[in-house]
Amino acid sequence: MNPLDRIGAVVSKEFRHLWRDPRAIAIVLLMPVVQLLLFAYAISFDVSHLPTIVVDADRTPASREYLRDYVGSPLFEIVEYADSPGAVEQAFLRNTAEVGVIVPAGFGRTLAGGGQAKVGVLIDGSEPNSARVAQAYTNALNLLATQQVAIAWADTQGVDVTGLGQLEPRVRTWYNPERRSAIFLIPGLIVVILAIVTVQQTAVSLVRERELGTAEQLTVSPLRRGELMLGKLLPWTLLAFIDLVVITALAVWVFGVPFRGDPGVLAAGAALFVFCCLGIGLVISAVAPSLDVANIAALLLTFLPAFLLSGFVFALNQIPVALQWFSMVFPARYMITVTRGVFLKGAGWGELWPELAALGIYAVVALAAASLLFSRRTR
Amino acid sequence: MTDDPGLAIRGLTKSFGEIEAVAGVELDVPRGAVFGLLGPDGAGKSTLIRMLATVLVPDAGDAEIFGLSAAHSPDRLTPRIGYMSQRFSMYPDLSVAENLEFFARIRGVPKPRRRERAPELLESMGMAPFAKRQARLLSGGMKQKLMLASTLMHDPDLLLLDEPTTGVDPVSRREFWRILADIHAEGRTVLVATPYMDEAERCTHVGFMDAGRITHSGTPQELKDAIPGTLLEVIAPDPRAVLAALRDQPGISGAHLLGNTVRVLVARRLADEAPPPGSAVIPDTVRDLLPANAEIRPVEMDMESVFSHLAEEAAA
Repeated sequence: MNPLDRIGAVVSKEFRHLWRDPRAIAIVLLMPVVQLLLFAYAISFDVSHLPTIVVDADRTPASREYLRDYVGSPLFEIVEYADSPGAVEQAFLRNTAEVGVIVPAGFGRTLAGGGQAKVGVLIDGSEPNSARVAQAYTNALNLLATQQVAIAWADTQGVDVTGLGQLEPRVRTWYNPERRSAIFLIPGLIVVILAIVTVQQTAVSLVRERELGTAEQLTVSPLRRGELMLGKLLPWTLLAFIDLVVITALAVWVFGVPFRGDPGVLAAGAALFVFCCLGIGLVISAVAPSLDVANIAALLLTFLPAFLLSGFVFALNQIPVALQWFSMVFPARYMITVTRGVFLKGAGWGELWPELAALGIYAVVALAAASLLFSRRTR
Repeated sequence: MTDDPGLAIRGLTKSFGEIEAVAGVELDVPRGAVFGLLGPDGAGKSTLIRMLATVLVPDAGDAEIFGLSAAHSPDRLTPRIGYMSQRFSMYPDLSVAENLEFFARIRGVPKPRRRERAPELLESMGMAPFAKRQARLLSGGMKQKLMLASTLMHDPDLLLLDEPTTGVDPVSRREFWRILADIHAEGRTVLVATPYMDEAERCTHVGFMDAGRITHSGTPQELKDAIPGTLLEVIAPDPRAVLAALRDQPGISGAHLLGNTVRVLVARRLADEAPPPGSAVIPDTVRDLLPANAEIRPVEMDMESVFSHLAEEAAA
């Protein structure tokens, strides 16, 4: 008789299911907070205080001078002073150090004699990210040391170098000047959390109706497929928005993630993205033969792509081209562009409309597919 | 009855892969009847009922229910039918009242009517004290009553019940049939599949289904009259031993226990030689199989015997 009343009936029923299931509430309301804390505190790509072992075989003022640069830097933390180069390998194997600096005997003498003094820097490459950063730091440090040696030499020769032309690069990092990984990760994390909450829950919801036999009872009623779908979508859309607000608030006030853009764009993007996810969830639900299959499919289709094929952790232009194309099948990549744009770059409608349009089209297709697949009556 | 159509099923067919579950069923059920659908497991009873309930789309044929096609206008039909599936199909985490409320609401029952109907139904079924209990915590019998109540919330004209009392204790079964009697008295049509022959006795009409077809249908009396033979009741100290002795003997087309007695259906040619029912003279072939102290007398035909006779006939 009245479609709105029927949809209302489904919505209030879904909320009842939710209130009766403490685990579901925990997943919806606590998981985002836990994940946020985990990613923001525990997982970090920031590299500093690299544990460093120093071997000074020269023991001259020159060698001490050279090593002082390492001691004074916040990037290195000297954990051990040793006498023989063998100690470096020992430290690597024990995982007590990741960088080894070896100053060989005769370092000071060679330097004083105008020769090319050699310094050994060993880096533990088993953790590539730290290794890369350590290499960059030590290179820079040695370049600086060489420069100082040259200036000192010029000084002794009575040459005034202050008149010498110099190049000074002014490199600036925009949007995340300190390059804190929390600021990079949290806008992406919002997307991952929204995807998990919505897809997982809707994926099991229709399957559960089938397993309970209640789907059959729904068939013997004037309730239409579209009404059932809508009734199931609305509560989760609301919960997804609660999650969005909670995470955004935590991100801005607790983790100091800047929010530079238009909240309207974020809200519009989130709404479209949630519809995409619910669509995917309902497609899984319509096709999956059992609850277990639905759960695993939801995990494979959201969790992994949201992590790996969205630019959340690995920049999309750094992954193989085939995977770049493949990533377009999942809505997370568009949404991560939106959240990073809004949070960090202050982007608005003008810049993000292609992503919003992609999400909109995706949502329509996914929901239509779900409705079609579910409307096939049982064989 | 014919000018007031109830159900008119014509050539209804449904296959699952290779298996033809319902094979061209032809059946008329008069309006206001309590129609018992009998038949062995796998005869196609559930598939037939699910097609009538518009849950399954038939491969061929159609069923006209109150003049509406089940295959073509399911949306006009569903508000007028209540379907109770074989397994429990309410939300286990919702309370009794919440389940009733939800299913009535999606069927378009207005709020004032829901508020009035739910307590009324629960009261009549002795479920009033359990309105707030979660459905998963109900006993088997109460679960069945909840499902029945749910199918009645929107005052359907036709109730389709698929083995509603299977696995339910005898007291609850009796109670359930008392409620069905009330529903019948209200003028609703009921089609109920049942494996229990004592329940078949309480139907106004019955149909016997086998291998996807309705092989016999009519009133219980008509079916009983069509069975050739005489039913004898045997009272003996060890009824189970008697039953075992009588099974599969030539000339005996069925035997079953009823309480502490054994009921034996003897074929007509034996009974023909015997005096009319009421006499204590029994065919010798039967007498010889029984203990000397057994008491034997002819009784009226019962549905159990009809059922086993028809099942055997179908198997042959």
